Amino acid sequence: MKYALYLGCTVQTEQYGYEASVRATMPRLDVELVGMVGVSCCGFPPFSSVNELAWLYSSARNIAIAEEMGLPLLTLCNGCHLSFTETIHKLGNSPELKVKVNEKLAGEGLRYDGKVKLVHIFELLHDEVGKDKITAALTNPLKGFRFAAQPGCHSIRPSRVGRPDNPENPKKLDELITWLGAEAGDYPEKNDCCGSSLAVSAGKVVLDIAGEKLKAVKRRGFDGLVTTCPFCFKVYDNKQRAIQAMGGKEIDMPVFYYTQLLGLAIGLKQEELGIDLNQSPVDELLIRIGGA
Amino acid sequence: MTQRKPKMMDKVNAETCDQCGKCPSSCPVTVRIEGFNPRQIIAKVALGKEAELMKSQVLWTCTSCLKCKERCPEEISPYDVILALRRIAINLELPHPEGYDESVKAVVETGVVQQPQLVRTRNKERKDRKSMGLPPAEKPRDMTMYTKTLRGILEEDEL
Amino acid sequence: MKPVLVIGGGIAGIQASLDLADRGTKVHLIEKTPSIGGVMAQLDKTFPTMDCSICILAPKMIECYRHPNITIHSESEVVNLEGAVGDFRVKILEHPRSVDAKKCTGCGLCSEKCPVKRPSSFQAGLGQRKAIYLAFPQAVPLIATIDRDACLWFTKGLCRTCEKVCPSKAVDYEQKENLIELNVSSVITATGFEQYNPKDIGEYGYGRYKNVLTALEFERLVCASGPTGGVLSRPSDGKVSHNTAFIQCVGSRTQTVGYSYCSAFCCMYATKEAVLIKEHEPSSHVTIFYMDLKTFGKGFQGFVDRAQSHWGVQYIRGRPGEIREDPVTKNLTILYENTEIGKVERIEVDMVILCTAAVPHRENKELAQVLGVELDEYGFFEVGDPVSSPVETGKPGVYVCGSCHGPRDIPESVAEASATAAKASENIVLSEVGQ
Repeated sequence: MKYALYLGCTVQTEQYGYEASVRATMPRLDVELVGMVGVSCCGFPPFSSVNELAWLYSSARNIAIAEEMGLPLLTLCNGCHLSFTETIHKLGNSPELKVKVNEKLAGEGLRYDGKVKLVHIFELLHDEVGKDKITAALTNPLKGFRFAAQPGCHSIRPSRVGRPDNPENPKKLDELITWLGAEAGDYPEKNDCCGSSLAVSAGKVVLDIAGEKLKAVKRRGFDGLVTTCPFCFKVYDNKQRAIQAMGGKEIDMPVFYYTQLLGLAIGLKQEELGIDLNQSPVDELLIRIGGA
Repeated sequence: MTQRKPKMMDKVNAETCDQCGKCPSSCPVTVRIEGFNPRQIIAKVALGKEAELMKSQVLWTCTSCLKCKERCPEEISPYDVILALRRIAINLELPHPEGYDESVKAVVETGVVQQPQLVRTRNKERKDRKSMGLPPAEKPRDMTMYTKTLRGILEEDEL
Repeated sequence: MKPVLVIGGGIAGIQASLDLADRGTKVHLIEKTPSIGGVMAQLDKTFPTMDCSICILAPKMIECYRHPNITIHSESEVVNLEGAVGDFRVKILEHPRSVDAKKCTGCGLCSEKCPVKRPSSFQAGLGQRKAIYLAFPQAVPLIATIDRDACLWFTKGLCRTCEKVCPSKAVDYEQKENLIELNVSSVITATGFEQYNPKDIGEYGYGRYKNVLTALEFERLVCASGPTGGVLSRPSDGKVSHNTAFIQCVGSRTQTVGYSYCSAFCCMYATKEAVLIKEHEPSSHVTIFYMDLKTFGKGFQGFVDRAQSHWGVQYIRGRPGEIREDPVTKNLTILYENTEIGKVERIEVDMVILCTAAVPHRENKELAQVLGVELDEYGFFEVGDPVSSPVETGKPGVYVCGSCHGPRDIPESVAEASATAAKASENIVLSEVGQ
């Protein structure tokens, strides 16, 4: 299985741990990742609040590159996946808009068709790689651990454009966690936002929103929080100390990218998976997992 | 302020809103930021008070969680209304968070929101893409054309 | 004089049948399930009078059964219709109950001894019945029926216990379906409604959260003949609910999941149900989350006013955004905005009742085709002009009454039933004088 790997700005420019864990684990599951040349920002963060055509153009050009490669487009970030999904949806419903976007793309010698197969990382792992392949690859099942899934808003909403999981009862990330030998579990705050989009206007509120989730996950007895979006991860992991400083209470919640846990379960080392970059208190858990 | 009613507002069925209250009760921001309430935002749009909204601070505090869009029984998306109002506000150069201008500039000029950062491990070691063994970052092949096209789009009067 | 066909044995069908029969007209009353009675037989009390529902319904059911001019065909359906007003030729398929109606006394011993259990649709799925069963204690006709898909004899060739224990030797596994032909002057459709299944409204957790119920499930819970004997004990742990919330407009007034119309009677039945809880336990906390209060009928506004002032039912204007379940206690937290004061709040309750909309019967489509009449955009039966012909379909001689053409409360259903009986009577007169 070959996929055009679209990293997205946040992964490419700072969430290296995520990228490293993806590059380390996918080949072990017979997933070949092909780099995309000439890609740019998916357009959502800079343009969605500024100019729709600029957003569609930014988004469509990356889709066009994948289409040129003749490969399905794999995203690692929830936001990028939604951005591309909305573009395909909008341009699919509006032939005039599609023509307009293609007129703009022509300057770069690109052409958008909209027939690309778009796949998000957990969708790939759950629906295409599948349970049998993942469980067969396990050398260090994560038995006895219980992780809270953080599907993240943009991977489950808005359902009317088609998302990889159910908007009110998402299960795929939970199942992926159980396929590693660990336990997952439903919790009332699961579908709540990490708040990261507020960073540009109300930074403190982001910490409050994210803090509520972390406290809930801790209260409900989970060993860690697992996500597939660099925005969610950045808030829960990179900003955990800031959240604690604001809340005054010890949160102490390990946060991982799913592919990092996957890597540990299939016998890869912490450094190969970029876990040394995780800022949340993961060390104790790592010792218990035994995947040093 | 321009008299022209932006065409995107015509696509919003704010008048069919029953003011039921599903959107604010789903919203993570309404409970935290005084003055932000998606139901009231739609009410104001229905009453033609877009101008008031575009000058308000709270317009910028939606976190795009999309719960309002998902759950609205009338298929009105307060989120999309907020985005539309933001676009008009920025186009009219009304006050808005600087972050938007910064990221637009960065993407238009370099293709990405920021340059690859130097990050730290828990042991305070510094790492970059190279030391992580990751391939160099990508950017548009024809950067000049990319920048020119985006600038052109942003300067056109359509939003 | 030709008889009249009445399809559907709920309150509307019963009323239409009685009106015609009392006038000397013969009626064939076709009912799909083992007993007539319909939804009204499942309710605890009716609004706004708070009468015991089955108490006022059962005498009418028995009257139908005993009336010399009414023939009840239960476990039956209409499969073909030809002809025109004054002279319809109808084919009725009588499904086999596997019990001889002439011998069965309704003693219930068969059901007691039957080893197979199934969810009881009369108990809205909250209780169970056996493979051989009586629909409910006041069923008319009071004859047992075998659910052949559940029965061990029919599925695996085993058991036959019911046959052994029946004192009247009424069990008849060989019983076959029966196709009968009738010649009638008019057809009255009174097939009623279904309740909306709210499982697709994911944010309310129906089907996932045990203590989130539908209104009909609540009626069975609070009813003395229900699975808990009328104790408001919640499904997850049997604990009595001291704090109950009702959510209005579930499956109605929406462009997305459900139907866009207003289901008319839900505000009233929610108030009734809230008052029922208060009658059982006055110190109980009851909240109704509503969008508007539809109190259009006689006595309705007063009923709601009394619910607030006398009983202390709390009404909050706000359609909740979501319901959350505590993984340990299974209590429910409702996230809502009190839109009157613009404040977003949470309330923790023991049980939530979703006031689901009355929706078209899924069988309307097939029946409409058989009868040669139209359905509206929702799937309800279509009528002519609402002012001049509110109970007439596009086909002369075929009438509709009750909820089969839109949500109706009991008084409206009864009034419409009498209207259709009057219309049908015209045709009898006409057919007699040769038009």
